[in-house]
Amino acid sequence: MSRLLIILWCLMCAVPAVAQDADAPIQQVMQAHAAEIAKASRRTIQPAIDALTDSGLPAAEIVLERWQAKEMWQDEATGLFVFAEEIDRDTIRIFDVSGPDIGEVSDEGYKQLKPNSGVRGLIAAALVKFQLTNDSPAIRRVALDAIARDPNESHLPALRDVIPAERSANLAAQMTRLERLLTISFGASEEEQIEAIAHFEGDLGVDVRGALNPLVKTTIKAAETVPEDPALVRALRPGTDALSKSDAYALLVADDLAPPLIPADAVRQTLIANIEDGKVAGVQVASLSTVQARNAAFATLVAEGRANPAATEQEIDDRLDAYQFFELYTGAPAVAIAAQSVLSGIETKVALNQTADLALDAISLASIYFLAAIGLAITFGVMGVINMAHGEFIMMGAYTGYVVQLFIPDHTLSILLAIPLAFMVTFAAGVAMERLVIRWLYHRPLETLLATFGVSIALQQLAKNIFGTQARPLTAPGWLDGSLVINDIVAISYIRIAILILALIFLAVFLIVMNRTRLGLEVRAVTQNPRMAASMGINPDRINMLTFGFGSGIAGIAGVAIGLYAKVTSEMGADYIVQSFMTVVVGGVGNIWGTLLGAAMVGTLQKVIEWLNPSNTLAAQTYMILFIILFIQFRPRGIIALKGRAAEA
Amino acid sequence: MKNPILGTTAALLMASALPALAQDCPIKVGVLHSLSGTMAISETTLKDTMEMLVEQQNEAGGVLGCQLKAVVVDPASDWPLFAEKARELLTVHEVDVIFGNWTSVSRKSVLPVIEELNGLLFYPVQYEGEESSKNVFYTGAAPNQQAIPATDYFLEELGVEKFALLGTDYVYPRTTNNILESYLKSKGIAAEDIFVNYTPFGHSDWSKIVADVVALGADGKKVGVISTINGDANVGFYKELAAAGISADDIPVVAFSVGEEELAGLDTSNLVGHLAAWNYFQSAESDANEAWVEAWKARMGEDRVTNDPMEAHYIGFNMWVNAATAAGTTDVDAVRDAMYGQEFPNLTGGTAVMLPNHHLSKPVLIGEIQDDGQFDIISQTSEVPGDAWTDYLPESAVLKSDWQELGCGMYNTSTSTCVQIKSNY
Amino acid sequence: MTHTSSFDQKYRGVPGALAPRSRPFIQRHPSVMIFIACLALFTLVVTVLSEGFGVGLISTSFVKTLGKTLCLCLVALAMDVVWGYCGILSLGHMAFFGIGGYAIGMWLMYARTELIVVQSLAAAPLPPTPEEISQGIATQIFGVVGASEFPPIWAFAHSLPLQLAAVVLVPGLLALVFGWLAFRARVTGVYLSILTQAMTLALALYLFQNDSGLRGNNGLSGLQNLPGQADTPQSTISIWFFWAAALALGLGYIFCAWMVSGKFGSVIRAIRDDEARVRFLGYSVEAYKLTVFTVTAVIAGIAGALYYPQAGIINPAEIAPIASIYLAVWVAIGGRGRLYGAVIGAAFVSLLSTWFTGGQAPDINLGVYTIQWVNWWTVLLGLSFVVVTLLAPKGIGGLFDLIGKGRKS
Repeated sequence: MSRLLIILWCLMCAVPAVAQDADAPIQQVMQAHAAEIAKASRRTIQPAIDALTDSGLPAAEIVLERWQAKEMWQDEATGLFVFAEEIDRDTIRIFDVSGPDIGEVSDEGYKQLKPNSGVRGLIAAALVKFQLTNDSPAIRRVALDAIARDPNESHLPALRDVIPAERSANLAAQMTRLERLLTISFGASEEEQIEAIAHFEGDLGVDVRGALNPLVKTTIKAAETVPEDPALVRALRPGTDALSKSDAYALLVADDLAPPLIPADAVRQTLIANIEDGKVAGVQVASLSTVQARNAAFATLVAEGRANPAATEQEIDDRLDAYQFFELYTGAPAVAIAAQSVLSGIETKVALNQTADLALDAISLASIYFLAAIGLAITFGVMGVINMAHGEFIMMGAYTGYVVQLFIPDHTLSILLAIPLAFMVTFAAGVAMERLVIRWLYHRPLETLLATFGVSIALQQLAKNIFGTQARPLTAPGWLDGSLVINDIVAISYIRIAILILALIFLAVFLIVMNRTRLGLEVRAVTQNPRMAASMGINPDRINMLTFGFGSGIAGIAGVAIGLYAKVTSEMGADYIVQSFMTVVVGGVGNIWGTLLGAAMVGTLQKVIEWLNPSNTLAAQTYMILFIILFIQFRPRGIIALKGRAAEA
Repeated sequence: MKNPILGTTAALLMASALPALAQDCPIKVGVLHSLSGTMAISETTLKDTMEMLVEQQNEAGGVLGCQLKAVVVDPASDWPLFAEKARELLTVHEVDVIFGNWTSVSRKSVLPVIEELNGLLFYPVQYEGEESSKNVFYTGAAPNQQAIPATDYFLEELGVEKFALLGTDYVYPRTTNNILESYLKSKGIAAEDIFVNYTPFGHSDWSKIVADVVALGADGKKVGVISTINGDANVGFYKELAAAGISADDIPVVAFSVGEEELAGLDTSNLVGHLAAWNYFQSAESDANEAWVEAWKARMGEDRVTNDPMEAHYIGFNMWVNAATAAGTTDVDAVRDAMYGQEFPNLTGGTAVMLPNHHLSKPVLIGEIQDDGQFDIISQTSEVPGDAWTDYLPESAVLKSDWQELGCGMYNTSTSTCVQIKSNY
Repeated sequence: MTHTSSFDQKYRGVPGALAPRSRPFIQRHPSVMIFIACLALFTLVVTVLSEGFGVGLISTSFVKTLGKTLCLCLVALAMDVVWGYCGILSLGHMAFFGIGGYAIGMWLMYARTELIVVQSLAAAPLPPTPEEISQGIATQIFGVVGASEFPPIWAFAHSLPLQLAAVVLVPGLLALVFGWLAFRARVTGVYLSILTQAMTLALALYLFQNDSGLRGNNGLSGLQNLPGQADTPQSTISIWFFWAAALALGLGYIFCAWMVSGKFGSVIRAIRDDEARVRFLGYSVEAYKLTVFTVTAVIAGIAGALYYPQAGIINPAEIAPIASIYLAVWVAIGGRGRLYGAVIGAAFVSLLSTWFTGGQAPDINLGVYTIQWVNWWTVLLGLSFVVVTLLAPKGIGGLFDLIGKGRKS
């Protein structure tokens, strides 16, 4: 019944109160390009956009804007364009393109126009003309972004027109920079271009290199002598890195300076073509099952004049020697040389900055490893308890964060709450595990390892049963979005900075707790000599429990941080456990500075290997582990080895 | 036979091993999807889909006068176990057809068993191609039904001139990227304008790779990312992209393994405008799709989403039902013959047709990520016939699959010979 | 660490530890005799009930499961020797197991593909050259992962004897080098466990790479099809492998029993109980440990070579660290320090695992919540492992002691 009512209601709506104005000038312009607009493609849409911008109609700007925002629909029956807002799944409120509200209708019979981002980019570039003179600085900024993305020649005069009138210093600077960049690409004269190029001496922006690099494009040519040409970059010799012999020869072939090489498959093809009565050149086909036999038969064919011999190495070399190869700038030589000199200066700076960025990445990765390992540095390093479920405590912390976010939508508040809560949850889990399992296995480290493995397996599956296997969202608060951008090359996301700071805080907390508090004193006493400690009135049971809980709790907080920057899954702990143990072992068990050094080493190493082999991140991880295995051979007790009696404990 | 008793038993056994006759009720439908382990989240959805489809079919009167029964086993994301469970389905449960698998490696594990026992498998996930088995119908997209059209979209619509092919290190990304590299070169993109990177499963440290991609723009060319990054690793990747402030207008990313399910693990507000290419999106507007989404939500809950492999199963299952009805039996060979040319309406509009190479012809959709985790479909092609052997790799360009006429899945057109009848695994 | 006080207790369960040397080995170790008899009987029963050679009460897929279980028992034996007897908790033995599988898998794939390629090239106008055949095989095998050339690692894949040698030599050499480095640096206890785990992880990650030349994540597949046996049904092949696995387990058991008896056995047990003391007595502890580590790695390799042709596919996920942990779990549940314990543990837990995850186990409906064993089995396994470690360090094998005690009293 209710469905019937809806249909009735829709039918009523379908008769709009105000009719569409088919004769409005703007509608006319659009109708002239209706087909292109309805099925917009970057390749065909430019004329339609130009028609709109050139129409001089005040409505053109609005049409472009709403079209770009996917708010323009087409009446499938009449082909007229309308603006529309979606009311619900089946209803839209439509407006005439010239403004008037037509009313709510069913979306049956109307088709939403969805320009793809290529088309939207072109629209944005067209809108620049209107937006640059807009009163709102925000809109002027949108226009500048559009120019930066899709610069074209018409933007240059438009920019030059508005720069003098720009009131915001910030925007004016941006405009000037863009104007210089556009001058490089579209400048009227070479002098103008060269002048603009000089402006960017030492600038690290990707856009600068983007503007300069196309100017220094080169092409390789061959001729009998190297010409005297201002565009000459350098002479090349075949057989070097810059020009391989086969490329050089192909160049000669392309210029008709040398005969084409016979393809590798030619011997086989020729032999097949010359099979007569089961024989080739008098040799039985069946015996042609080796390369030698085939070459011999081919040689016979050549000798008989029934096949062309392949060019020998010597012939190829002779031919190459007869010509000179050289590189020429394709563009205007003066501009290219100016651009090249600026680029060369920039490149050294770029390399330096890339190293700095790599170093930042390495520090960030090291801080993540350190964070993952610091709990372990307490339970394993200080207490000597192998806890293979450490990774699962990290996971529990992360899921705690996820659950908190389910209840508290405000991200800042929820993270602030999640951190202590994660600590409490994993502290409790750690204490429970210490009481129930580990306590019974002190002095049986292998058994501890196995039992905690059991706990780890069970916890992981438990998490899968509760939360499912798919990654769960843990979203950082808005103020941690984005990156600290030092320049276009060196940048680090705020979330990584936050993790770094957190890692440093943990380091401080660890040092203070261990060295400055009663608990730390007792912990050290119990680890060094439990009996003596007990006779001094310290309760070793209680201390062990608290220490283990403390280590586990820190793992929980680490989980929140790691979940924020990566993902929350039941297997996230397993990803870190081996690395964490490696960090602690490499650094030296029982010393927090060792763990720090270990993390730094592991992180740096991984980044360096990644840098050496950028296309395969997996290889980096493999080699890193191999390196660690070897490292432990030479320093079995880690970077910072405990000496004396403590080492034997 | 020396022993008469043994001989009789053997004969009896052989009789029972004969293909199930049409009147054998109920007709058993094997479901071979992981319900535990790493692939469970993706594959459990497909198990539920199959159960829903079987239920719907039973309500509509079953097939050949029989009710259908779904036999569900759990290969636990363990690839050898897939082979074992497939054998169990075919010999112990004697199912008439199997719907299953997600990863390529699990399919490769199952292939020898299915071919040995002449089973019938419907494989619903987009894959790398370069394979054709007499016993498998590939209802997911082949590279030319997903990767190639998406690349065309990059080239033509977005004007991308420089490509970063980022993938997880396994066979689907490797092969797809190989095909794409070769395709891009044929389109005039220079080798140095193609950046390829592989990362492990579940990779989380993306800062350097994202920085590398940004640096690609230094020569003034428009950069686009083609992502075959799988599963969880996407979370970290997109988070890093968002943190680096890269908008879809600067460097668009098109993903082949990110669908509605994967986006559920992400806050998509920073990803609006990035792309995915599939043959189906939940947001497709058609009556059939609305009914399908409604039935799914009614069964599984309001917050559940539908995705591309589900549609593949939907089409595959209905085609199988129609083929079995047309053949009058569920015998594998008869059904296979009846499958060729089967037509069934897509959920996105248009009609899917089963081709002699065991692939479907389906439309290719490109969607932009929206902030509600759904996709806005901005491009939809007409139906593209799936191609088992890509035309863009020299070794496979000469190969062709035609089970109907040539009876060969790996036919070399240059030498006019059948390379092999069994598939390569 | 104080193990010496329980010296007597530990030795009570060891068959024939204190028996005189004059009598034949089997007589001194009646338990070996019993085990071999049980294994022979089991093999006979399975054969008679199989589809390939008997009445067909046991399906081929179950024969394969049983055959694979025997291989797992063999690697568990190796684990028991290295851990239960020598005290080295190696978390790397499944890596050796996997290497054995890869070694045999390379030949299986190569030889099977070679037949196909030769057959298809026979139709070409010119007879194929060896280079063309090799190129054809490479395209077939690596086409899947987007390559078409043989990596150097496949240099010997064409030869069965060489790959069989690799089954023994590669795990052996890896264990020798790794063990030599580790033991020389006096890495012991949990450090060694973590180090072996790191080795396993590194190997798995390496194999996951496509560049490793072993087809990356896809691994080697179709291994159940023996080259040249295209017409032999799997029901027959499965029994062949079952026999081979049973034979290997029998021989492995005798070998392990021989190894852990006598002086060698006493020394390695002594190393387990107090390494420093053995060293002070003048024994070369490192040499003993290295021998045990290497020999058991070889046994694991052989077990793997028999396992994967039955499984049909091997890929890096098989080598992941968790597999080796499960191996330790089996041995611990079965009962360390006794060979039959390892066999029982491996068979019991892996078969139970198959049963629970196979969907055969009935779900338990609690009204508010239904326990699906598929999801809860792993939790149960993990917890039972904790309980066994805490409360029953002797595992299932410990039950035999109770029976023995009961009889004596």
